[in-house]
Amino acid sequence: MEEIQKWRTALQSPDVAERAAAAESLCHAGPDAAPAVLELVQACADDETVAEWATAALEELGAPPTESLEPLTKLASDSKSPVAYWAVTLLGRLGPAAIGSEKVLAALLHDSPDAAVQERAAWALGEIGAKSAATLAALNRASQSTSPRLARLAKASLEQIQK
Amino acid sequence: MARKKASPPAKSRLFTIISLLGAILSSGGVGAYFNPDWPVIGPLVEKLAQRHAAAPSDGEVGSGKLVQAWRELTTESAAAPAPIETPSRDNAAPAQPASARRPGETLLIATFNIQVFGKSKLSKPGVMDVLVQAVRHFDVVAIQEVRASEDDILPRFVAAINADGSRYDFLIGPRLGRTVSTEQYAFVYDTASVACDTAASGTISDPADLLHREPFVAHFRARTQPPAREFSFWLVDTHTDPDEVKQEVDALADVFQFMRTADPREDDVILLGDLNASETQLGRLGQVPGITWVVSGAMTNTRRNKAYDNILFDRAATSEYTGRWGVFDLESAFGLTREQALEVSDHLPVWAEFHRAEATSRNDIADRVPGVQR
Repeated sequence: MEEIQKWRTALQSPDVAERAAAAESLCHAGPDAAPAVLELVQACADDETVAEWATAALEELGAPPTESLEPLTKLASDSKSPVAYWAVTLLGRLGPAAIGSEKVLAALLHDSPDAAVQERAAWALGEIGAKSAATLAALNRASQSTSPRLARLAKASLEQIQK
Repeated sequence: MARKKASPPAKSRLFTIISLLGAILSSGGVGAYFNPDWPVIGPLVEKLAQRHAAAPSDGEVGSGKLVQAWRELTTESAAAPAPIETPSRDNAAPAQPASARRPGETLLIATFNIQVFGKSKLSKPGVMDVLVQAVRHFDVVAIQEVRASEDDILPRFVAAINADGSRYDFLIGPRLGRTVSTEQYAFVYDTASVACDTAASGTISDPADLLHREPFVAHFRARTQPPAREFSFWLVDTHTDPDEVKQEVDALADVFQFMRTADPREDDVILLGDLNASETQLGRLGQVPGITWVVSGAMTNTRRNKAYDNILFDRAATSEYTGRWGVFDLESAFGLTREQALEVSDHLPVWAEFHRAEATSRNDIADRVPGVQR
């Protein structure tokens, strides 16, 4: 735990090599790196050497701690695509516990300039089981998209929600 | 973000996921390619014909000396290397170095997700030594997770493998992924043992965008005497997205089925990689008629709590499979601690053994296809 805290701090270092080493160590920590989830999400938009390890760490992390819901919801609207993408992904992994992020995710599905973020928002809404009229309308619109992936994910989420 | 795809016309699921295989099979040259969105595989493909026998600058990589030094540096009491244990079923037995096996015996095919395989790992001699020695145990290794903006990762890796006089070569795919963080697949193979048809290699086309990282495919054949009886096969290297496993393994069922019919002269399709799914989570892929997989009841990650990696094929068509398989335990093979093994990768290599000679059914197929020369 002490080590994780040390690496979280190191991820804020002005020295890119130090940040890269911290991201790599957190990646090797596997699910134990969960307390560092917010720093790792932000590191995904860092220098390549940092971002690659941060991305790999998040891929293996599983669901984030529930207390990260609010900050992840804020990061979901980050202007940096990799940050938004991973924040949305982690909200989806939280499942129904992330229902508080529904409005933000529905908005991203509707108007994110990044296709990958839009697609992940469509997926996350299904994982969360969001059922508001606004969400269903956004998913219905997305299910008519000319993007086959977005349309498919939106349809799958609608089916999942309406089960 | 990293990759842009054209919208497909409405077609059947099978046809939308895979197309243009015919083009690759009828075309020649290193640039031949499945996917029309990528006219060439990448700069490294142009170097496919090159051999990598030159000694690396760090010539001791692969010698085992660096692993020993690494163990001593990073552990208080370095454990002595233990015999290689391979959790397995049936009559599985430990892997042996490919170079130690007599020609004409069997073929060891492996899959290895070398987590974030890039310049950071290349810069760690102890890690590289383990990777080099691990790969030398096998005739062909399907690698996942080459992650680097540089193009010299595989050339340097293969040079290190060949520092002992081995004659390995490689084939690498394009960078794939939905974010700026992309991955490449690669095949590393012993040219003394197998031949790769670089003209029949490429990335599966996925216009319906079902897969984050479309499988990388190549055709191989064992070197045998006489050559007419050589075991030939497609390898389909794959790495699913951990958040869309169910959809992706279902899509891989279509990839597998398509590859079975891709070339009437070839009935052996071996799909291998990091599926992020155990044998109970294979969905439609696990229900493909006749399909079988080697890993069952064993963990394949370094922490030994997940069964993510596997090797699948049609049990009747690929009767060359000897029934031997294993998970290559890096800790016991090289006397590493769990932490050291995790520095190498969070996955362990998974291997399966095949006879070098084509089984009779292969000849039957060739006999049924008009014009097929064997």
